[in-house]
Amino acid sequence: MKMNDDFEQKLRCQPLRQVPTEWREEILTVANKVGTARRAVRGRLGEASLPNWLSTLNHQLSTILWPHPKAWAGLAAVWILIFAVDFSVQDKSPVMAEKSVPPSPEVVAELKQQQRLLAELMGPRDKSDADGSKSFVPQPRSEQRFEIMAT
Amino acid sequence: MRGPEIERLYDEHAQPLFAFLLNLTRDEADTRDLLQDIFVKLARDPELLTGVRDERAFLIRLAHNAAIDAMRRRGTRDKTRENFAAEIISPFAPTGDPDEQTFRAALADALVELPSDQRAVVHLKLWEGLTFEEIASALEIPLNTAASRYRYGLDKLRERLRPIYEEIKS
Repeated sequence: MKMNDDFEQKLRCQPLRQVPTEWREEILTVANKVGTARRAVRGRLGEASLPNWLSTLNHQLSTILWPHPKAWAGLAAVWILIFAVDFSVQDKSPVMAEKSVPPSPEVVAELKQQQRLLAELMGPRDKSDADGSKSFVPQPRSEQRFEIMAT
Repeated sequence: MRGPEIERLYDEHAQPLFAFLLNLTRDEADTRDLLQDIFVKLARDPELLTGVRDERAFLIRLAHNAAIDAMRRRGTRDKTRENFAAEIISPFAPTGDPDEQTFRAALADALVELPSDQRAVVHLKLWEGLTFEEIASALEIPLNTAASRYRYGLDKLRERLRPIYEEIKS
């Protein structure tokens, strides 16, 4: 292990060549020309163009979301899970309705009987009730209600 | 991106990028072209660095991808061997010490024999001092892959350089 460390250390100590100094000006000149041309083109297209607007929005969102990308991913996963559960429950509801047993004839008959009884208790409808033009005439409190409740 | 910002990026990162690219391509002209491409790209698309936490890692990734593309496109591997036979392109600084010069030449030669993926990891670990996590992040590879590539690369270098290393030590 000692020999390995020595060898690694020996390699690490080897100095690398330096970037030629004249490259700096050459490369930066080209890069600055391209950057200037790019800004000029963007200026001509207008700052408020849609791609720029989207780019700005993307930049803002990235800045907001970047610090905790895993947290946002987790939140998205939770929402997906909630939607999945919601959809699965919705899918089951019609099945449950379909599987429910239809009311028996006895129950239907009982319901019809109760409807008839209610109709008798309410009494026959006055034809004039349907006439919306009839003016409202205050009447004494109905005694029929007491009769119904008493019944 | 404005001039001063590009200049700052160049002053802070051009040297390590140059050494990394030169070690990968072993061609000074290719290295210059790639270095220029990187800074032109940054000048053209300033948003590239938006939200980037580690500029160095990001630029190394750009350089690595550009170098791989260039080597594939131009068949640099063959070209490098031809150049190497005609002219020694070493990523190391020259020295007046004959023993050291011999060792550096042998090391440069041994590095060329490494696959480019191992060479990239070895370079970043030894001469950029990056951790395996940083290397994995920069090259977009798993941590274990970075560590194993380094181990394999270093073993090959050790095997290849053992005679000259022992001779210099003694």
